[in-house]
Amino acid sequence: MVTGKFKSTLRYLVSMLVVCVFVFPIAWFGLTSIKPISAVFNKDRVVVFDFEPTFENYRVTVLGGLKSDTKSNSSILMGTSGEGAYDGRGSILSSLVIAICSTFLTTIIALLAAYALSRLAFRGSQGYMHWILSQRFLPPIAIIIPLVFIFRDLGLRDTHLGLIIAHTLINIPIALLILKSFFDDVPIEIDQAAMIDGASRFQCFYLVVLPMIKGGIAATAVLCFIFSWTEFLLSLFLTNSIRTVPVKITTFVTSTGSEWGYISALGTAAIIPGFIFILLVQNHLVRGLTMGAIKD
Amino acid sequence: MASVKISRLDKAYGKVKVLHQLDLEVDDGKFVVLLGPSGCGKSTLLRMVAGLESVTGGDILFDDKRVNDVHAKDRNIAMVFQNYALYAHMTVRKNMAFSMRLNKTDKKTMDEKVNWASSILGLDDLLDRLPKELSGGQRQRVAMGRAIVRDPDVFLFDEPLSNLDAKLRVQMRTEIKDLHQRLQTTTIYVTHDQIEAMTMADEVVVMRGGYIEQSGTPMDIYDNPNNLFVAQFIGSPTMNTLECQVAEHNGVKVAAIEDTMLPLPGDRNLQVGQKIFYGIRPEHFQITPQSVSAGSQPGVAGVVRVVEPTGPEIHVYLTLAGQDLCAITRDRLELRPGDNIQLQPDLAHVHLFDGESKNAI
Repeated sequence: MVTGKFKSTLRYLVSMLVVCVFVFPIAWFGLTSIKPISAVFNKDRVVVFDFEPTFENYRVTVLGGLKSDTKSNSSILMGTSGEGAYDGRGSILSSLVIAICSTFLTTIIALLAAYALSRLAFRGSQGYMHWILSQRFLPPIAIIIPLVFIFRDLGLRDTHLGLIIAHTLINIPIALLILKSFFDDVPIEIDQAAMIDGASRFQCFYLVVLPMIKGGIAATAVLCFIFSWTEFLLSLFLTNSIRTVPVKITTFVTSTGSEWGYISALGTAAIIPGFIFILLVQNHLVRGLTMGAIKD
Repeated sequence: MASVKISRLDKAYGKVKVLHQLDLEVDDGKFVVLLGPSGCGKSTLLRMVAGLESVTGGDILFDDKRVNDVHAKDRNIAMVFQNYALYAHMTVRKNMAFSMRLNKTDKKTMDEKVNWASSILGLDDLLDRLPKELSGGQRQRVAMGRAIVRDPDVFLFDEPLSNLDAKLRVQMRTEIKDLHQRLQTTTIYVTHDQIEAMTMADEVVVMRGGYIEQSGTPMDIYDNPNNLFVAQFIGSPTMNTLECQVAEHNGVKVAAIEDTMLPLPGDRNLQVGQKIFYGIRPEHFQITPQSVSAGSQPGVAGVVRVVEPTGPEIHVYLTLAGQDLCAITRDRLELRPGDNIQLQPDLAHVHLFDGESKNAI
């Protein structure tokens, strides 16, 4: 039993260590967001807790307040001049709209496609799956230039809709693959039983199989949301005036200095919507929903 | 209710033919069991009747109406699957009411039907539970409940008991038979378990390799197997089939295994030198310990290998002229491995099969 106890202690210690490794940067980031500039940049020592907390950074970035001092004029040089150059409210709203819409769109399209690929055999379905997977081989940067031109010609550049479509395009393959594996977990006899009970193919999908993979749908939606929420490259190239949070934050980095306070404040605030989204769906993030359907 | 007729039915997956020109008639209200080893095509046949597999050739008729191209949902059949296939997110009540919900039955009728089915199947107290909260037997009952509320023309069972433990299987077997006697719905039941087939069926259809080997009442198939395969497949312990050659001994035809002579029924047309299988069921031997017979009794000598008392009877596994066989006796004999015994086959129950064609002679 001694070894058992030792094992569990070790396991506990290692897991705590892993948690620390992952949590530390976020905690430090959060801490920086409430530090005065003198505590962020201190030549003599690293300031951890002994500073006077300030919500100035949040006031400017999240609440849209005016920058209280003019300790640097770098913003003027970099074109982030003017009132509200550090106001992140519009960005948060844009990011939310784009992430929610693209997640919704991706999930709907991927669900229908994944069900079809899981249940309906057609000539070349295997090759089709590989083709879909191959869409992820290419890094987005490789397609960004044609995409910019296409979107410009279609009038989608610098629109919310454009970015929603772009994120949906990038997300569909991975969402499709994940959802297909969840559909594959549901035995085909369930569909057949439903059809014998008088269900059409769509009723079978909608009334029987879909509720059985709720957990998988939630997990996929979370992934899509997080991808869209943190996506940088497409947002940077496809928009000018609409700035998603990641792009907005980069405008705080200028050639004459980085506004670490604002960066960390907006960055910390940006964690919250994703966090709320995950909280909302985490009840569904349980596997084994199909338990009891068949003899295990 | 409906009769089911299958005529010259073919099924092929690409170039692989799995069913060959099957003909089968299931009369209205009959309980027919499709029996065969795995891979014989029995489940495929059932699924074609259900409308879950396409028909390559031939016809399936319900009450003389061709249903080849009728969708599964429009065939008015009910099917119970081997793995139950319950809707995991619905309660027992909703599982059973699902088909009625789809065809928009009114709530009152729906409740009445569900209550009727649940009282027949003893599910009254479980109606508001989810499938995951039920035991295997209860789940199987829900699957049956889902089938009977539909009032189907034909019931289809695809190895419904093979996932249950032995005791429950026997109990459910009786329940299904009882249910059929009550509802009198035409039933097609697939199994690889010959005991299930024997105990439940009005008619057993033995299949192998995509062909129907024999069909008939359980007792008819047991007593008069058409060929060696059916003879060996039906019955437990299985029929003894000894490889012998027809010889002549003192002017009488006998079946010879080396020096051992087995008596033959006189009414068969046999040629001396013909290779045959000498089939006899374990219960059709008369066993006499050598000490008692003292060599005076006619019969063949065997050596006991294993003795298995089952209670009502004793199964004796023995070696006869180098071939293994089994005999069953209801006498309380004191036998030990290594004992010599005399065996007398009951000639009225000897089955002979041709050594080449394996068909009954």
